[in-house]
Amino acid sequence: MTPLRIALAGNPNSGKTTLFNRLTGSHQKVGNYAGVTVDTKEGQLVHRGRDIILYDLPGTYSLTAYSLDEIIARDFVLDEKPDLVINVLDATNLERNLFLGLQFQELGIPMVAALNIIDQAEAMGLRIDHKQLSRLFRIPIVRTVGPKGLGLEELLDAALETADNPGSAPAPLYGAELEAALGKIVAVLNTDEAFSSNFPSRWMALKLLEKDTDARKKLESHQNETQVMRVLSEGIAALERSGGRDSEILVSEARYGLIHGAAKETVLRDRTAVPLTERIDAVLINRFLGLPIFLAVLWAIFQATFTLGAYPQEWLDSLFKALGDGARSFIAPGLLQSLLVDGILGGVGSVLSFIPLVILLFLFISFLEDTGYMSRAAFVMDKFLHIFGLHGQSFLPMMLGFGCSVPAIMAARTLKSTKDRIVTVLVTPFMSCGAKLPVEVLLAGTFFSVNSGAVVLSIYLIGVLLALGSSWVFRKTVLKGETTPFVMELPPYRLPTLKAVAWHVWEKSFQYFKKAGTVILAASILLWAIVTFPQSPPDTPPEEAMGHSLAGWTGRALEPLVKPLGFDWKVAIATVTGFAAKETVVSTLGVLYKVSGGEDDQPLREALRSDPVFNPLVAYTFMLFTLILAPCFAAQATIRAELGTRWLVFYVIFSVVLSWSLCFGVYQLGSVLRIGV
Amino acid sequence: MTIVDLRKGDRFVVTGVELTRETGKRLADMGFTRGTEGQVIRKALFGDPLQVSILGYQVTIRKSEAAGVTVEPLVSA
Repeated sequence: MTPLRIALAGNPNSGKTTLFNRLTGSHQKVGNYAGVTVDTKEGQLVHRGRDIILYDLPGTYSLTAYSLDEIIARDFVLDEKPDLVINVLDATNLERNLFLGLQFQELGIPMVAALNIIDQAEAMGLRIDHKQLSRLFRIPIVRTVGPKGLGLEELLDAALETADNPGSAPAPLYGAELEAALGKIVAVLNTDEAFSSNFPSRWMALKLLEKDTDARKKLESHQNETQVMRVLSEGIAALERSGGRDSEILVSEARYGLIHGAAKETVLRDRTAVPLTERIDAVLINRFLGLPIFLAVLWAIFQATFTLGAYPQEWLDSLFKALGDGARSFIAPGLLQSLLVDGILGGVGSVLSFIPLVILLFLFISFLEDTGYMSRAAFVMDKFLHIFGLHGQSFLPMMLGFGCSVPAIMAARTLKSTKDRIVTVLVTPFMSCGAKLPVEVLLAGTFFSVNSGAVVLSIYLIGVLLALGSSWVFRKTVLKGETTPFVMELPPYRLPTLKAVAWHVWEKSFQYFKKAGTVILAASILLWAIVTFPQSPPDTPPEEAMGHSLAGWTGRALEPLVKPLGFDWKVAIATVTGFAAKETVVSTLGVLYKVSGGEDDQPLREALRSDPVFNPLVAYTFMLFTLILAPCFAAQATIRAELGTRWLVFYVIFSVVLSWSLCFGVYQLGSVLRIGV
Repeated sequence: MTIVDLRKGDRFVVTGVELTRETGKRLADMGFTRGTEGQVIRKALFGDPLQVSILGYQVTIRKSEAAGVTVEPLVSA
């Protein structure tokens, strides 16, 4: 028997993911569907001897063509044709959740609903007659509590039964006028059998009445497109004449009309106490306290990350040093030892030692995200960010950007509008990521010993200012257009479970691990190779050998380009390898100075300080250059995956031009004014 | 009258949404449809954005969006 294919759908914050994890346990993987950049999770389970594949659709409020998530969710049903949809309904928020459920019913797919978090709804004083609700919507409804795993057996039972008895009851009907218009459009749509077997006619008709651009495009393949369009415009005209409003609004109203009617019949509200969430919000997002509290939270996160992270970072550092020493004593000196110790351990080790910082930052952010505070932060920050053309929700990806750009860029998916998403992705790499920190720490510590902390902080601030400034510029030029809605739910506060937070931290950190394991490993080997080859005779002085190597050649070739910024060929090489991963800037300098200096144990700082090319001004310019210049390949690959090649090319050119001109200005001005030389 | 004209704590019933296509549709889909009741819960610093309670949940909208939702104020009992 072929496995049963079930799609799990629901609003954001409906507890869908918890339910998914409960149902599939650890048997899940991230799948990628054709032409889709957003990952869709799928998991397997067995219920009463039947194999089931469960697909976790993106959490959405509706199924319009306005956002990527919504198109993915509906195209999944149309293209993949699962056997059934389980619609997760947040019982504390029934009406808006039913709005999405109705739209899945319109797609003509059999459905079972989970009336989820029913315990919280009852605690809030909501009494829901789920049996009557089930009769009204003609779908089985099962009461569940995801976090406790209650009702899951019954839910799967209902799913099996519905899937085994197809030809399920049709979706409920809307008002007479809408139905009249629908009837006519459905009739013409049905004249093309191939088309109507691909796209359910009733759904297509509704979407066309909603002036859905994606549905309109699909209609181009209809045999009698012009005829459909004629009937459609007649239908729209008739509806708008009698309704007095746009037809897409009338369709939403028809759905809500049905839902309000059903809710009146089935939901009993006795609202008495002010919910806990409102009492917390009265303080946390108070008109005047909101911003100071948010800034304090931010400060606390960074303090905690860097203080707590310093310990494991040190342990990892000494671990890799010990491993290197061990390898040195076990493997005979030569190419292999050099590759393992200097190339791989040196390169990957310097990256891995920053993992504790990244994980801690993600831990705090994930915790706040799961409690519901992050959307409050977006509320508090929106006015400020909006001035620069960003969105309140841009703030979360930007925060994550302090850790690692890869998950940060992916987090921009939560932004509904394409333009907001593009702007956010493009400015996120300006946030000084964890990988740029070692470069800043090294240079600031070497050349600004007294106030190195302030110097590093100034780089972070410049990054934030550049992010805001570029966003403003993008919004005035390449991403012009009307501002997009800031319609964002403030979910009730929830105490996140340890498991959920751990899962989210893992998901985000995994991107970083993957980068360390693949891109940086490859970069370290490549870097080692270009420094080592072509090999010179064994008795050549190191400086000379370096000059003959591929790295020396590349550096010298690039030197004229970076000379106006005060850099020499060594900095040029470090910058190039920095494209592979910003952390490698430090290890490159290490390799370069060790090789050219010839003394194995000379600390990098002393080497830098004694190099006449370097002075505080050059060091600061170099920090800026590292900050602004295009991010590592892993981040670039992520930008490409999220926005496409065109935007990546645009971004790389933009950041190269910006970094070069800004650093040119800083260095030349500093030289003239004799600051830091 | 629109939501912008209301003060913190005011209750209202939606009479229509007058906004451009995407914004109007999104607000309608989130529950801002004719006849739905709601309440202004709070406004952020500088009065923008607003927190509104509708259909029993909390949602934020900007001033510019709130100015497109026509309402009739409800006198609280």
